[in-house]
Amino acid sequence: MFRVWAIPLIPLLGFVYIGLLSRRLSRRAAAIVGCSTVALSFLVSLEGALQLLRGEEALTATFYTWASLGDTLVRLDYRLDALSGSMALIVSGVGFLIHLYSVGYMHGDRGFNRYFAFLNLFIFFMLTLVLSDNLLLTFVGWEGVGLCSYLLIGFWYEKSDPPPAAVKAFVVNRIGDFGFLTAMVLLLAQVGTLSISELLQSAPGAFEAWPVGALAVGLLLFLAATGKSAQVPLYVWLPDAMAGPTPVSALIHAATMVTAGVYLMARFRPILELQPQVLEVICAVGAVTALLAALIALAQRDIKRVLAYSTVSQLGYMFMGVAAGGGVAGMFHLTTHAFFKALLFLGAGSVIHAMGGEQDITKMGGLRSKTPITFWTCLVGALALAGLFPTAGFYSKDLILADVLHFGEWGRILFAMGVLTAGLTAFYTARWLMLIFFGEYRSPHHHPHESPAVMTVPLVLLAIFSFGAGWGEHAYAHFVGRVLEPPEGHVPGQVIAWASGAGIVGLLAGFLRYRSLVPGPGPAKGLARVSERKFWVDEIYDALIVRPYQFLSKVIASWVDGGLIDTALVNGSGALVRAAGRIVRPLQNGQIQVYTLAMMVGLVAALGWMLWS
Amino acid sequence: MPTLESLPHVLPEVALAVTAAALFVLEALWQPRGRARRVGFPLLALGGLLAALLFLVASPSSAEPRFFGGLLTQDPFSTFVRGVAIVATALAVGLALGSPSLPSNRRVEYHGLLVLLALGMCLLSSAGHLLMIYVAIEIVSLTSYLLAGFDDRGGRSAEAGLKYVLFGGVASGVMLFGFSLLFGLFGDLSLSGLGQALAHSTTLSTGAGRWATLLALVFVLAGLGFKIAAVPFHMWCPDVYEGAPTPFTALLSVGPKAAGFAVLLRFGTGLWPELATDAAAATSALPWLLLLGVMSTVTMTVGNLAAIWQDNLKRLLAYSSIAHAGYMLMGVVAGGREGPGAVAVYLAVYLIMNIGAFAVVSAVDRSAHSEDIGVYHGLGRRAPLLALAMAVFLLSLTGLPPTAGFVGKLYLFASLIHHGGFWYVLLAVVGVLNSVVSLYFYARVLRAMFLESAAGEPAPVSLANSAAALAVVLAVPTLALGIFWQPLAAIANFSGSLF
Repeated sequence: MFRVWAIPLIPLLGFVYIGLLSRRLSRRAAAIVGCSTVALSFLVSLEGALQLLRGEEALTATFYTWASLGDTLVRLDYRLDALSGSMALIVSGVGFLIHLYSVGYMHGDRGFNRYFAFLNLFIFFMLTLVLSDNLLLTFVGWEGVGLCSYLLIGFWYEKSDPPPAAVKAFVVNRIGDFGFLTAMVLLLAQVGTLSISELLQSAPGAFEAWPVGALAVGLLLFLAATGKSAQVPLYVWLPDAMAGPTPVSALIHAATMVTAGVYLMARFRPILELQPQVLEVICAVGAVTALLAALIALAQRDIKRVLAYSTVSQLGYMFMGVAAGGGVAGMFHLTTHAFFKALLFLGAGSVIHAMGGEQDITKMGGLRSKTPITFWTCLVGALALAGLFPTAGFYSKDLILADVLHFGEWGRILFAMGVLTAGLTAFYTARWLMLIFFGEYRSPHHHPHESPAVMTVPLVLLAIFSFGAGWGEHAYAHFVGRVLEPPEGHVPGQVIAWASGAGIVGLLAGFLRYRSLVPGPGPAKGLARVSERKFWVDEIYDALIVRPYQFLSKVIASWVDGGLIDTALVNGSGALVRAAGRIVRPLQNGQIQVYTLAMMVGLVAALGWMLWS
Repeated sequence: MPTLESLPHVLPEVALAVTAAALFVLEALWQPRGRARRVGFPLLALGGLLAALLFLVASPSSAEPRFFGGLLTQDPFSTFVRGVAIVATALAVGLALGSPSLPSNRRVEYHGLLVLLALGMCLLSSAGHLLMIYVAIEIVSLTSYLLAGFDDRGGRSAEAGLKYVLFGGVASGVMLFGFSLLFGLFGDLSLSGLGQALAHSTTLSTGAGRWATLLALVFVLAGLGFKIAAVPFHMWCPDVYEGAPTPFTALLSVGPKAAGFAVLLRFGTGLWPELATDAAAATSALPWLLLLGVMSTVTMTVGNLAAIWQDNLKRLLAYSSIAHAGYMLMGVVAGGREGPGAVAVYLAVYLIMNIGAFAVVSAVDRSAHSEDIGVYHGLGRRAPLLALAMAVFLLSLTGLPPTAGFVGKLYLFASLIHHGGFWYVLLAVVGVLNSVVSLYFYARVLRAMFLESAAGEPAPVSLANSAAALAVVLAVPTLALGIFWQPLAAIANFSGSLF
């Protein structure tokens, strides 16, 4: 019998094993356990997906029945259907490749075993999030991946950048969690269950009389998604999260965790559809995020920051794709993006590895001949990111844009923003490629070298998928179309023309501009400075939110908490209780006569009172 | 059911009686020395308790719940409480291994008396007849008197034993008077017979008959209140707890209390059978419930307030156990199926966390030779595992999530709130307020362990003894049951019914 809960549980066992024996376990053993548990999890997911293909609608398993009072039962169910199954395959499949790559990348790091323990824990939480059929369990996964993200961003806690970045990620995500929790409470109150499959069935009826509630639930769920998936206005944590090890950026901050918000939207499409405005908001926020992040990516110098903003931008695309049309387009882009963005991050890691830790792309150059495998695989990834035919990115991006064009009143404007973003994406991708791999070698670092096979093999495999995954478009749409509404017909020619045109123009412009030009070390000028300074969003947040918040908390700490609560309420009631205790004490003087007397007085009092009443 | 056919249903009690007899006889005939004495006899006692537990689990179900002509009643609740009593005794045997508070030459007696006490508690849990109730209470009391005075290092323990005897004598005398009044009024001693007589008798309609009945009820309550240590029959409790050897104190705080609650519930449902089925309809039981409700309020309030000033951990836990009797009385007041179920859940939780807390006290006492809060200063540094276990027990006793104590309180409060009615909800509110107050003194111990540092050079606390091991082991379910409380829900479902 097939057991769905085995999929998340196997990596958990790996975590427990590595975590408990951390000190005593050899690196080799930790690596083998870490990789093989995720691989096993992938195989089980694959077996599950094959059963789905044979005609099963969904595979479910009750992991634990959590009894609470009365009739309220919390059944912690895992459910594998076409949507969660495809996510589980991505998480465990890409996760396995990144585990493998990490063996080479983290080689020699002091925290090698700790790293693999965290990574396995992350896979467990992510698979729980994806496969859970209970909103509470989903929330456990949701918080769990956040925790792992925090732990892994701050993995190198001795350095100066990672700890504040980890805290920033944690704090910004709390805002999103507020949305998740509130939505959960509203759903429980109105529908009376937390089981996702039951929620999706009965929510339309339950919210019929209360449309505002449906609107609130939809927007709150989206708020949760903006936190986890780094959308405007909560995207600011993701670029800073690049302080963690590069494979972590690939796994958590590109391929899997940050797409959890997109998955949430796809999962809850039936509830979001109750109020069409919700979908419009999602699509618009996605478009704005996509454009803004692409603009910021134009002038970044850090090899990973470019990719981080690019991820934010691509996530914006996914939200557009999941809101417009039937939702399949967004999920398909999520899949292809998982391949090519993981590939680009791992490629960046390989470059950093080769450069001995250097991350400034203006100090690289000419690595094409020195790290050939990295170059060719990154080229495939970059073309996929730019959406060039026939790579995977071409298919998924066009699918989204085709849906957006016919979406609501603002469809054309959103479409235009999407096309503009496509052009900008191609431009910064070309810049990234040119500055790293072409031109003269500009670093004083002496001897760049290609990475070992354990790192390049995952690169090649991911490159193959980044190149060819798009050809599975129809199969994917058919498969996931059992849960979501499959897209109708073919992508119109004008969409392909606009999107590919923008991509080619952007690529050419990038190649031409950065063929010989290298940005100088000083701050950029003019519009480039706006991009380089990231539109001063961090500074604006600091002035508008962080500082007033700190001021307010100081006031509350000294006046409200210190004066009112501590002195008046806490100490006051404490003193009251102690005084009351003092009254009871003298009776207990150790004399048995007094004790029996007290008993008799009690008896007489009880009797007198009973008879009197 | 006649005597001979009843025997298969009391096999646990038979096993306990045989074990106790074997312990005393072997000691007298053989007088073993060395290892056989230190380890063999505790193992024999544990074996007897285990056998009793197995018989209990495997006991045949019977369509007729009354045995020995109505002396004993068997229902899910009594089965559960007998289990609690046996497990608590087994834990007390474990705690006593190597405990310095027991004189080495009288260890065997100690174990024999413990098993005898377990027998008494089992009988008390299923007693369905006033005579049986009295005999069982006396078995429990007499063995307890002896055990409380067992520590021969200084006079504290002997004083405790004597006070216990005197107070217990008065209480059981008053109770016996109540029994005789009931017999005189209704002409029956079995609880079911009394219930029928009460329903059909004309005694209650006359003024004098009503007075006499109320007098009898109040007097009976004195004896049962003494067993569960409810105010105002609680005053023996702090002195006896402090003086008695700690392993026995741990048992005393749980086992007899559990049996007392069983008999309290059975007395109520025997006299007013509607209480067990539909608590809201049991209007004739209102004076009884009123008494219990007031007793619950006063007991938890006095227990918690008095605990605030205690510097001796055993005294503090004594007052805390008084307060917990008050909490559990809430479940008795709620009645129905839910009330006894909630009491059963709380008993299970209380068994784990309270014996756990006493195990920590016993472990610290073995190194520091003191139960004063001063020796707990800096325990978080000196014995982190033990301090952590203690923290879990204290949080659980307060009733904070995610501990088992939280779940237990939740069931108690819920039983009252589901019952409904102003006074019932008010009682629940009082319970919540009391839980808040209790945080004050439990947190004092937490503060001592983790925030304050020890003065001078404190003796290192050894973890290599049975008490410390038990404390750590018991901390696990205290935490685990707070998160996965399905087993507790199963207990509530199983043992909610009394016949």
